[in-house]
Amino acid sequence: MPVNLALGHVSNDFLIAAIVIYSLSVVAFAGDFAFGRPRRAETTVRVRQARARAAALATVGAASAAAGGGGSPPVTSPADEALGRVASGPAAGDSMPELAVPALRAIGQAGPWIRTAMTLAAVAVAAHLTAVITRGLAVHRAPWGNMYEFVTALTCVAAIFFLFVMIRYRAWALGVFVMGAVVITLGLAETVIYTAAGQLVPALQSYWLDIHVTAMTLATGIFFVAAVLGVVYLVEDRYARRVAAGRAAPGNGIMSRLPSIEQLDRLTYRTIVFGFPVWTFGVIAGAIWADQAWGRYWGWDPVETWAFITWVLYAAFLHARATAGFRGRRAHYIQLLGFASLMFNILVVQVFITGLHSYAGVS
Amino acid sequence: MTDVRAPEAGPSPAAGQDDRQAAPAGTGRPAGRAYGIADWLKWGWRQLTSMRIALVLLFLLALGTVPGSMLPQEGADPAGVQQYYTSHPALAPLLNHLGLFNVFAAPWFAAIYLLLFASLVGCVVPRTFRLAGSARTLPPRAPRHLTRLPHSAEYGTALPPDQAVEVAAAVLSGHGFRLRRCDAPADGWVSAEKGYLREVGNLLFHLALLGVLVSVALGGLFGYKTDRLLVQGDTFADTASALDEIHLGRLATDADLAPFTITLNHFSASYITSGSQRGQPLSYDAQISYTAHPGGPARTDNLEVNHPLSVDAAKVYLIGHGYAPVFRVTDARGQVVYDAPTPFIAASSGSSGNLLSEGVVKVPDAQPDQLGFSGVFVPTAIDVGGTLESAFPAADYPAVSLIAYAGNLGMDSGPPQSVYALDTAGMRRLTADPQSLLPGQSLKLPGGQGTITFTGYVPWVSLAITHDPGQVPALACGIAALGGLLLSFMVRRRRVFVRARPGGPGSTVQVGGLARTDASGGFEAEFASLAAELRSAHDRAVHAQHEEE
Repeated sequence: MPVNLALGHVSNDFLIAAIVIYSLSVVAFAGDFAFGRPRRAETTVRVRQARARAAALATVGAASAAAGGGGSPPVTSPADEALGRVASGPAAGDSMPELAVPALRAIGQAGPWIRTAMTLAAVAVAAHLTAVITRGLAVHRAPWGNMYEFVTALTCVAAIFFLFVMIRYRAWALGVFVMGAVVITLGLAETVIYTAAGQLVPALQSYWLDIHVTAMTLATGIFFVAAVLGVVYLVEDRYARRVAAGRAAPGNGIMSRLPSIEQLDRLTYRTIVFGFPVWTFGVIAGAIWADQAWGRYWGWDPVETWAFITWVLYAAFLHARATAGFRGRRAHYIQLLGFASLMFNILVVQVFITGLHSYAGVS
Repeated sequence: MTDVRAPEAGPSPAAGQDDRQAAPAGTGRPAGRAYGIADWLKWGWRQLTSMRIALVLLFLLALGTVPGSMLPQEGADPAGVQQYYTSHPALAPLLNHLGLFNVFAAPWFAAIYLLLFASLVGCVVPRTFRLAGSARTLPPRAPRHLTRLPHSAEYGTALPPDQAVEVAAAVLSGHGFRLRRCDAPADGWVSAEKGYLREVGNLLFHLALLGVLVSVALGGLFGYKTDRLLVQGDTFADTASALDEIHLGRLATDADLAPFTITLNHFSASYITSGSQRGQPLSYDAQISYTAHPGGPARTDNLEVNHPLSVDAAKVYLIGHGYAPVFRVTDARGQVVYDAPTPFIAASSGSSGNLLSEGVVKVPDAQPDQLGFSGVFVPTAIDVGGTLESAFPAADYPAVSLIAYAGNLGMDSGPPQSVYALDTAGMRRLTADPQSLLPGQSLKLPGGQGTITFTGYVPWVSLAITHDPGQVPALACGIAALGGLLLSFMVRRRRVFVRARPGGPGSTVQVGGLARTDASGGFEAEFASLAAELRSAHDRAVHAQHEEE
């Protein structure tokens, strides 16, 4: 079926509109940092947590120094053992106290900047989704058949997923980071790898495109959010350690607005726990498709190899969280490495390394 | 194997936890008195099965696969390896020595994944026993002070302690918790635990990964992969002599090849004819007829990309196509010594070359000299500054361009030759420039050596024939792994304790709960609703008592 070029243009226009509105929402999120009401109730909680954190870090540091620097011993106390080992300790109980307020009212209470930012973000997501759908209608297939379409779709997943996370966990302060990353990625997609609406080569004409690439798009969008959360985690972690070492003043304005380091850690973990099975499913679906198209389910094609590397690194993240000495900062480094390998696969391997997956359509 | 523990190993973490045993490097090292080989082996095994080493091995696995994607691999791209040898003559032998052109079959790569799987087995097997054990043992006794647990609630009820505990036990049991009741009636408590499927899922996931490895090995041992180029109108039988390339598994033999025959009746390809995507293929369709075994009924099928043919436990894939120009050659005596389609191979992969194809024609029967031609076939010919190029992949305006040679083809001596390369060492060039021919045109060779006529062309397809007995097990294991993953992520292992002490008009009820695995989230809500349900059950029981009175 021929491509509907007019509808393809409509899709492009919606995407441009989405980029503009996303940018405005980023400005509004940033405006909240600069001019928004300080959240007093939260700030006191935050200061308390920062103190507790600093104290905890100090003891852990001392303990590992005592152990000769050869990795810190298990933090869990014998009492916890008796209770069946709760890794996060008593802190697990007081997570996310904000959840008592319904979502819409919580947005309302968060101040005019957040209200504006959230409204703009929602409108931008709607425009973005419309762009993806109209592209699909224009080409009569799932709109992720080349690199440009894939990046457009995965940022849409990331934005929708993050909007959900933001509303569910009242994590407004993260909006500037995630939506900022979405804007930059979309801008690059629009300028560097833009590909006009077109038809697919025979190898891609399969319902497995709908299954395999959809799963990969979803998982990448989810991991995208986890990566941004991980970066914020590392920034906060660094700040907390500087405070503990007396090299930074506690109560930094921006830091006090961000979710606590424990919340970020848990949020990242949940995000990856959500994304990992989707990625696993995508790899399995890809293997089934590879068997149908190329006569083998796994052949270490460069893209397969890097999908495997990504899988192994996210698996390492999940294991690291259960390993003394790897929790926290190191685990986040591992997941960021996993995301880096994912990006490398999309942006370098699929474009520059010849293999069976060379469908990027980037010339 | 839970009791495999090195001597002097510090206080070991309690058994029954979800994690691997956290064994920091350095502890458990034999020290002090002399230890034997067995102790060192135990220590090594304990290190190997620790989570820390598993993590390191996971990293090594990720790192080890990287060169497999960066360097050409013998299995997938043998031509690329050759090319690498020519462009990096000094480096290539060194890389080859390290197995970097065949990473996924290299001993060091096998060492990484076998160690990882050994580590996995060493972790999973004891955990399976532990899970089986915990399915038989009861939950632990209720702690004395439930308010110290991560989740707790407290309220009063008019029921006496023993009845309050009884009502709570009924509620918890109704939610599928396993219960443990107090041993002494004076102690009013009940413990409840739920979510054993989490560990089941976790173990299933890891065992399924082992299953995937076994399935891959099964395919490597008993499977095969063969290739065959088939010109339209030709028939071939799936036997070793008729195939172009055969890769047999280590334990597979020629006799394992499925005895079918395939005829290519017709091949057609369609392309996008206009716009920016002009020349991009839209569809390939190979109409074949086949017999599953000699003398069997002939069937027909349409082979397409993504639509392989299953025949006799093997699968036949359409993986490539091209043109075979037909040449008729008469030698100096005037005899027709060659009249056949000759497959030419696309010079560049992808659609950039528009199927400009290269090939050679070898005429060993020509006399007095053997004749050879190297040439180019272009499906849609255009002249770009004196060279023939292809403007479109469909054969809209086909042409060939040939260079003729006469002399000795060298086919009788030396190593076996490729049919796609001409050894011109013993030949002299007959034409200074490449000579272009359109269908029907002939080229008279100088010196009365003969004539070559380009009579037309037929398409060819390349087929891959594979058999992989590990395929279905691998899929089953993949699905099991995914199922196990979902179970272990979605099920939460959690404990709820209820204590009732005499107080007020009846008793004070304390409810405490904890999820044994961190960060899975959502237990707060579950605990809150459980606590509310317990409280209302107690209230209802009080009402019921009042009504009875």
